Amino acid sequence: MIIVDKLCYSSKLRYMNAEEKFAFSIITLLICVISRSLICALFLLLAMGILTVKIAGTPLRYYRKLMLIPLTFLILSTIAIVINFSHTPLDAFAIPVGSIYITGSWQGILKATQLIATAMAAVSCLYFLSLTTPMTDILEVLRKCHCPLIFLELMLLIYRFLFVLLDIADAINISQHSRLGNKDLKTAYHSFSNMVSVLFVRSIKKSNALFDAMESRCYDGTIRVLSQNYPPRKKEIILMVLFDLFLIILIIGGKLI
Amino acid sequence: MSIIRAENLHFTYDDGTQALRGINLSIEAGQKIALLGANGSGKSTFFLCLNGINRPKEGTLYLHEKPYDYSKQGLLELRSKVGIVFQDPDNQLFSASVFQEISFGALNIGIPEDEAKERVEAAIEELEITPFREKPTHFLSGGQKKQVSVADILVMNPEVIVFDEPAAALDPKHTQILNHLVEKLSAKGITVIISTHDVDHAFAWADEVILFQKGLVLRHGKPEEVFSHEEDLHKTNLTKPAALRLFDNLVEAGVLSADEPIPRNLDMLEKYIRERRID
Repeated sequence: MIIVDKLCYSSKLRYMNAEEKFAFSIITLLICVISRSLICALFLLLAMGILTVKIAGTPLRYYRKLMLIPLTFLILSTIAIVINFSHTPLDAFAIPVGSIYITGSWQGILKATQLIATAMAAVSCLYFLSLTTPMTDILEVLRKCHCPLIFLELMLLIYRFLFVLLDIADAINISQHSRLGNKDLKTAYHSFSNMVSVLFVRSIKKSNALFDAMESRCYDGTIRVLSQNYPPRKKEIILMVLFDLFLIILIIGGKLI
Repeated sequence: MSIIRAENLHFTYDDGTQALRGINLSIEAGQKIALLGANGSGKSTFFLCLNGINRPKEGTLYLHEKPYDYSKQGLLELRSKVGIVFQDPDNQLFSASVFQEISFGALNIGIPEDEAKERVEAAIEELEITPFREKPTHFLSGGQKKQVSVADILVMNPEVIVFDEPAAALDPKHTQILNHLVEKLSAKGITVIISTHDVDHAFAWADEVILFQKGLVLRHGKPEEVFSHEEDLHKTNLTKPAALRLFDNLVEAGVLSADEPIPRNLDMLEKYIRERRID
């Protein structure tokens, strides 16, 4: 999560208009998920990969690592679709185990591939957004979409204080290590539980201090801040529309074949 | 006429700790004030009172000789005139974006967005934030966070800015940058109140020094005068500023004359000694 945050601030597309990026990735994601087309998903995986790595400048090794995380989950969860236990063997493969077969059908394999590809393509759309757009910009877009303010304010504060609390947790962890707080499993569990309780107390203290500091700047219950937006560019919008049109043509073409 | 005056100010925390036990003091507009005192002497509590966050249990605070008004509108006005830069910027910065963060106070006092934007830009310029304005606040260094937290307050155009131990956890270079920024603010006519443990800086910088002890004002006056009371410094866990100590010793040894104006920093003292060698 922190690595995503770090990467998005150094992305080459960071100063692109946030609404453009948001609309592009969400619309593309919807097209991909609704169509469930394998060709579309494979094309998107490639295209979004190139966009994120080549154009936005995310280092390939991080991108690969980030893509592998959901892939592991997906493969584990689609095993159930591919592998069946049955008395009759299916067409793709069949391994006899005693009186039953561990077996699978081509249809099941196709379905699983389609599912994994679609899900991965959807993930790549979201990675494109989150690897190029800082959280504060995304919140700004959500505000324009009339998302309830309370959620946005919570997200703003949680996002900021995640880092503050992580820093504290880090410091506590180091000080525990320096006093042999992790010498064996039992001590490590004990140290961890201590850290959690200290973090809880600290976060309450921090929130009180934050409230005082905000009050001293005339906080009245609504967080009002200026947005800093970058103007949209015609060229980018045209390219994005063309991209999505191409995607739709690809899907229709795929269905006809 | 004083800009801020405290009369018999008492404050007790919910757990029964008596933090302020009858503060009387008056601060003139445009002054540079250093507030010193041991840990727990009530400096931070006093600051929160100045800003209306803590309401005194007894006694009155005056802004421009008018008693503090704790109504909603009154507090809004008070807080736009008296701003606090908190000790730990991590307790003050709530947004990950520097620009958003700084704009918060300006919008809260109700100025239109266009003007707020101008003020934010001006504060970024003035406090030399431009090189890191696009970075998220969680990747800023301690000193940079401090600069942003000063800008937070500056956009509200306050008449008084209170700094709670601004140099805590800053390296000498960032302390220097901060001092230079504070100097800029005073030059604009803003009254600056700083709590600090650095006697040398207080001695060199301040127009007035206030010593707090156990919730009371122990001394209040010109730096030369306050720092000459060694027993009071001892009571508040402080030491004499280096320049003053050396000067006193040199006078005693007959090297320098006691008629010279007291040197406020080591550079000035060095000049005295150099001039003497030429004689």
